[in-house]
Amino acid sequence: MAKFILRRLAVAVPIVLLISIIVFALMRAAPYDAVDAMTTPRMSEETIAAIKAKYGYDQPVYVQYFGWLEDVLQFNFGNSIVTKQPIAQQLSVLIPHTMMLVLPSYLTAYILAIVLGLIAGSHRGGKLDHIIDGIASVLIAVPTFWLAMLLIFVFGYTLRALPFIGMQTVGDGSPLDILRHFTLPYITLTIAFLPDNLRYVRSSTITQTTQDYVQVQEAFGAKKVEIMFKHICRNVLGPVLTRLGMAVPLLVTGAIITESIFSWPGVGPYFINAIKGLDYPIVMAILLLSSTLTILGNLLADVLCAIADPRIRQGVR
Amino acid sequence: MAASTLSRRSFVGLAGATAATALLARFGIVGDIEFANADETTFTYAIAGDPGSNVNPVTTSDRFGLMTLKLLFAQLFTYRADGVHFYLATGYDESEDHLEFTFHLREGVTWSDGEPVTADDVVFSYETIRETPVADAYSSLNYGDQGKVLVEAIDDLTVKFTFPFVIAAALEQLQGPDGVYIFPRHIYEGIEDYENTDVNKNPVGCGAYILDDYQAGSYIAFRANENYFDGVPGPSYVVYQIITNENSGMQAIQTGAVDAWIATAAQVQQMQIEANGLTVNPYTEGRVAYIVINTKLVPDINVRKALFYSLDREQIALAAVLDPNYYDVEYTFLPTNSAYYNADAVEKYERNIDKAKELLAEAGQPNPTFVFGYSGTDSLQTNAALMIQRNAKEAGINIELRGVESSALSKAMKNADDKEYHITFGGYIMGIDPDSYTPLFASGSPSNYAHYDNAVLDDLFAQGRIETDIEKRHEIYDAVQAEIADQATHYQLYSNHRLLITGPRVKGLEDAKLIPIFTFEDVNKLQIG
Repeated sequence: MAKFILRRLAVAVPIVLLISIIVFALMRAAPYDAVDAMTTPRMSEETIAAIKAKYGYDQPVYVQYFGWLEDVLQFNFGNSIVTKQPIAQQLSVLIPHTMMLVLPSYLTAYILAIVLGLIAGSHRGGKLDHIIDGIASVLIAVPTFWLAMLLIFVFGYTLRALPFIGMQTVGDGSPLDILRHFTLPYITLTIAFLPDNLRYVRSSTITQTTQDYVQVQEAFGAKKVEIMFKHICRNVLGPVLTRLGMAVPLLVTGAIITESIFSWPGVGPYFINAIKGLDYPIVMAILLLSSTLTILGNLLADVLCAIADPRIRQGVR
Repeated sequence: MAASTLSRRSFVGLAGATAATALLARFGIVGDIEFANADETTFTYAIAGDPGSNVNPVTTSDRFGLMTLKLLFAQLFTYRADGVHFYLATGYDESEDHLEFTFHLREGVTWSDGEPVTADDVVFSYETIRETPVADAYSSLNYGDQGKVLVEAIDDLTVKFTFPFVIAAALEQLQGPDGVYIFPRHIYEGIEDYENTDVNKNPVGCGAYILDDYQAGSYIAFRANENYFDGVPGPSYVVYQIITNENSGMQAIQTGAVDAWIATAAQVQQMQIEANGLTVNPYTEGRVAYIVINTKLVPDINVRKALFYSLDREQIALAAVLDPNYYDVEYTFLPTNSAYYNADAVEKYERNIDKAKELLAEAGQPNPTFVFGYSGTDSLQTNAALMIQRNAKEAGINIELRGVESSALSKAMKNADDKEYHITFGGYIMGIDPDSYTPLFASGSPSNYAHYDNAVLDDLFAQGRIETDIEKRHEIYDAVQAEIADQATHYQLYSNHRLLITGPRVKGLEDAKLIPIFTFEDVNKLQIG
């Protein structure tokens, strides 16, 4: 198993490197750069040239890339060109905020999806299945930003029941206050994460119920509940568990729209502003982080799968 | 059986780890979010961007950074459309040759660390900016081969500035494009990189407020400087709440979550202004919106004039801003609130379709096609562009609209070899004195978006820069305005008002005064409650 993990990690390094080259090249291929976005007609050419030189824009692109890479290999993500903030320091504050929102939402959606998916799948074609599948179909079509605005309109504006700006009331910051701020984005994200997982669990359950081993169990007179929990569940949850691994990058980039709408101080608004301003050190840092997490998440998914399924484990060995 | 135990164990372990991470995030890493000092006189202003924690008095030039600076630091004076207002200075004397300006400082002003503010700090601040090429006001104090502004302390409370040659707009130069803030030598001396220093996390200034708390992406909070030289500030705390989403901002002001927010006219129409006790406070920023023709791509002056005669300013302005109460129609490069504004001096190109067609026929181009670049994310520019396209069509001019990212457009506008856009949309807050508009028209300047060399204009701007006789200056700038209009390169449209929406708790706006860029001249003069 250790060999398998090491081999996968070794393959991941060139992939991350390739991603960084592509992203860097695309950013630099844009028709303007971060300094162009900051300059004003009142700045002299001398000042603009000095600012560009300060951020290395006077160097060839490959020199800029290797400069960036050298810093990153020393765990130095550099500073934002627009706000001048150290990126690592900013991310160390913003990522926990995003995780605080994404983790509970994803876990809630995940648990709900398993329960509802199993119920729907085991009642295939029945009333319950129609209701659950219908809800999932509607939710999958609902844009997150629209749902967020609807929740703000109903609970924030009309009922004035819940706050919808930021993570806390300035001057309060008590756990209850944070919980109140957390509620609406949490509901939004839970609903956003739910339908996809739900449909996955449902279809896996349906696939399993048509397998021969279920018919054999039925022929031996096993009860439906017994078949469900002893056999189908085990086979469904294996692949479902791997989705948990693949969800790891969501911890950084999983709530970009929701965070922007609720002014939640996470990675989302920071990332969007950086893209708009072509603040490439920030964009590169976040993409590097999220691509690494994607690769690690996939690895985690494989490992979880191997742990859950002895047949795969045998294969890995 | 063994497999299922392992699977269950790993699942429980994973769930446990995630829960622990959540707890850590909540109680460990996110622990420093207490700001428990706000009270009923706190003024909360929603801003659409994060100024960051490296705002500094040397290089900061963005709107939200400047709004932060203005609370923490003070200038000698401000120079606005309505005249000069003194802050750290009590007044100034000008030498007869107009080269020396001697400022007298207030007595007894202290920095937020208790040290006295002296003339030496003023000298240090101006010299630092003058010697830092990336400083926002660097160009205001340096004149290339002609020299630079010299600054010396005469005594503890007197500072003398000496210009290398006569500049009529000397005060505007000393103010810089966005203000020159005075900062203490004993704190800032020796710093090499003003954009990355720990001093920025705890700045020492002598403004009306002191930095209290900054939460990345969330808010920046300031507490009143009880020793502020202009009296104890009204709001005991000022909070800039960062709300980047416009729809969320609109709901926030309507529910009272914030006390002030900037809206567009379209948003005002959507809001329940009266029901929520809100007030719309329109004010001009002096930003003249205009279209500019690239003369390299449209060299025939008659074709340019034809386009101008096909347009209807009122229609375009109304289409863009939606409410006639929220804009001024503009005819010259200077905004209506400029002392040198003179619409009577210029050809206004009142709409005349027949004349437009006649000019096109004369030029042998009855149906020209132009590509029009504008900021696709700016609703005002988008609406105006659609109306311009419709207007021009009536004269037989085809306009291809191309909405692009504003920074990409701005870079293309500066490129003298650009072949893509015949016409572009411009508009920037330049300054009070007409001299500050020189870069937009000077031959060879990257901001000369029409890309034409005009010796007459260069000469007139040069005369205006050094002419100290007010009457003669008026004559010069009348001629400048007329010449720019005659060349048919720039067609001014409107200056839209910035709409500050305030909640029912906010009073004293007249004293706090609404100004370009910063919103408030003296936020400390607001009364909350």
